[in-house]
Amino acid sequence: MLSFIVKRVGQSVLVLLVTGLVAFSMFTFVGDPIDNMLGQERTMEDVERLRTQLGLDQPFVVQYVRFLEQAAQGNFGISYRQGRPVAEILMERAPATLELAAVSGILAIVMGIALGVFTAIRRDGVAANLIMSISLIGVSLPTFLIGILLIYLFSVELGWLPSFGRGETVKIGGWSTGFLTESGLKALILPAITLGLYQMTLIMRLVRSEMLEVLRQDYVRFARARGLSNRVVNFRHALKNTMVPVITVIGLQLGSIIAFAIITETVFQWPGVGLLFINAIQFVDIPVMAAYLMLISVMFVAINLLVDILYAMIDPRLRSAS
Amino acid sequence: MFRLSAAFAIALALPVSAKDFSFAVTTDPQTMDPHAVNSAPVLGFLNNVYEGLVRRGKDMSIEPSLATSWSPIGNGEGWRFVLRQGVTFQDGSAFDADDVIFSYERASSEEADTSSWFAPVSKVIKVDNFTVDIMTSAPNPIFPDSIANWMIMDSGWAAANNAERPDKERGNFATLNANGTGPFQIASRQPDLATELKPHAGWWDKVEHNLSRVKMTPIQNSATALAALLSGDVDFINPVPIQDAQRLQGNPDVKVIQGIEARVIMLGFDQQPGAAESGQGASDMFLDARARAAVAQAVNVPAILQTIMRGNAEVASQLVSPAMRGYSNAQSAPYAFDPDAARALAADAGLTGQTISFKCPNDRYLNDEAVCQAITGMLAQAGMDVSLDAMPVSNYWPELRADNFDMYLLGWSPGTFDAEHPIRFLGSTPNAEKRLGSWNFGAYSNARIDALLPMIQSEIDDTARQRMLDEVAKIMQDEVAYVPLYVQPLVWGARSNIQVTQRPDNFFILRWVTVN
Repeated sequence: MLSFIVKRVGQSVLVLLVTGLVAFSMFTFVGDPIDNMLGQERTMEDVERLRTQLGLDQPFVVQYVRFLEQAAQGNFGISYRQGRPVAEILMERAPATLELAAVSGILAIVMGIALGVFTAIRRDGVAANLIMSISLIGVSLPTFLIGILLIYLFSVELGWLPSFGRGETVKIGGWSTGFLTESGLKALILPAITLGLYQMTLIMRLVRSEMLEVLRQDYVRFARARGLSNRVVNFRHALKNTMVPVITVIGLQLGSIIAFAIITETVFQWPGVGLLFINAIQFVDIPVMAAYLMLISVMFVAINLLVDILYAMIDPRLRSAS
Repeated sequence: MFRLSAAFAIALALPVSAKDFSFAVTTDPQTMDPHAVNSAPVLGFLNNVYEGLVRRGKDMSIEPSLATSWSPIGNGEGWRFVLRQGVTFQDGSAFDADDVIFSYERASSEEADTSSWFAPVSKVIKVDNFTVDIMTSAPNPIFPDSIANWMIMDSGWAAANNAERPDKERGNFATLNANGTGPFQIASRQPDLATELKPHAGWWDKVEHNLSRVKMTPIQNSATALAALLSGDVDFINPVPIQDAQRLQGNPDVKVIQGIEARVIMLGFDQQPGAAESGQGASDMFLDARARAAVAQAVNVPAILQTIMRGNAEVASQLVSPAMRGYSNAQSAPYAFDPDAARALAADAGLTGQTISFKCPNDRYLNDEAVCQAITGMLAQAGMDVSLDAMPVSNYWPELRADNFDMYLLGWSPGTFDAEHPIRFLGSTPNAEKRLGSWNFGAYSNARIDALLPMIQSEIDDTARQRMLDEVAKIMQDEVAYVPLYVQPLVWGARSNIQVTQRPDNFFILRWVTVN
């Protein structure tokens, strides 16, 4: 088991290194940050001097090795745009994204399962059909459009909820939370729905079809024949058995909620890492882009590593497979 | 960081009074250091916090600020500035000549991005505590005009906080903090998220605004900014997307403030002879002035303004707008739209049958890509084959520097608000040593203009100076050095209870804002 884990960790590190290399080779195509850092009256000499100072005149492999050296010492460089350490900026922005992702994730799971069960049990009801039709919007409309529509309805027309931002936040240690203030909670509602809608409809449709499948099984019929109440049959016997594939999908979607957050954060001016990344691309803020991409790949690699290890623990045959 | 956020939280907890004002910008100022980045978002914002010796009024005219008066020394050896007494910085320390000397050294240092403003300066002399002589190597009649954005920093504050020189790459104390003499001071700053200002209680001038608290939030997405304005979450946004301006005008809760920016949008051409260049644009097709004239006559600028700009812009005839000093009234007629003449000229100049590589930014100027598409179509109607390549501005400038173009789109806003500025950057033969022609990507070159520029720069007599500016404008128009298209519009949006003053430099000046 130990050798399996060591091997897997080694492979993960290799994946990370390759991801970083690809990322750095791409930065040249994003553009040149120098013009964004200097004003209108710069000369070509100023441009070349700054380029040399930042080490951008070096081949990307050299830049990448230098990034790795510094990153290994916990130094992710200084943002070209803000003139502050990247690590500090990421720490400042991460809570916003993580809180948004957590709320929309929970929203998607709870609402998705509840609605999925409902539409499966009442498969011919008017309400269930209506929900199924509406859920098509969730899968087919692009996120930014849903966001703009929600803003238009609830902020501009009705004036109930704020149109952008995170509201008032409270600082606890290094973590800024929007959960503890009224404006912070209000500001969470629209972005959380926008971000979670796709996942919610996905889970709902999955739960529904799995549930319909299970409800046809013999053991459910026997349960009913034994005179068990509908509630016990639906929730204890049927739902439990639909959960295995649902949990797998939820796990897979975990990462994409954070990845999809980029669009939602842009529409709602949500001050998270996604918005930071978009701004960094526009400015060609290479240290921020590099750190963000490495962070995201560490996250995905870690999830996959964990899944691999879990599989191996469940299925001993995988351990000996070379 | 915790201290800043705490202040921010407290500020938000205060009861909302009528004098709270909140506005959205598209680009957060990169720095609070007035000498580190010479860009409009930075200088425009910091004009509310820092002040220069002179400042611009509502009509863009130069007026006294930290200097009460100024006069030329001798026969134009320099300028004497008499400083205002009793001015204090926001941290309470007093302003005097030492701060001016220090700010000169700081702003003209190699680390600064504003050093080109001081290229004409030979030295700065402290005469007494409230008199400063700025000596120039040649007579410089527009020097006071050229330093309206040179902001004065407290020497003691900079020394105490280790920020005696700007630092673009690593940042320093002055990147996040500010201490000016201006009407507003920074109450809290979270880069990219929100910046809060409060009035500077000890400001020397008469207060016109009625703001007690100002909050600036960057909102990049224009639809989100518009929604924030409509829902009342912010009181002011800049810009309003042109296509939404008309719709906003019908809404009683908001108003649209329209004007014209100082920025002229133009077409530039590759005029560098020889095969020394690389890239797709390695053709000499635009060496011939007739080829450039063909383009000038083929583009129907009024139609572009009517459709893409929704009638919000003005046709340009030269590299500066009529609101700028030194505008040439003699050359105010734009190129006439004449597709037939253009077709004939294009054929004469051998343009027909060649593919013109046209480079265009898609996130730099208002509706830039749409304008380029329209131009491409118009040139096609006059028999010219254009291959348009639009790209983000971060890729655009490197492309232009690499000479990968036959034709390109450029906008120019003269920092000095004087016609000399574009001649220096766009009209002069590129010369790194003399710092000339640094944005003249197409290497347009005319010996007479190169000779006239230093004379214009040092001419004291306004009539003689204007005569030379007229001559340059005429040469550039006759040779079709560039094809000026239009002066870019300004469209601001505000709640209807807000009074603001719009200036052609697109700076949002808070001391003129009132909330009713």
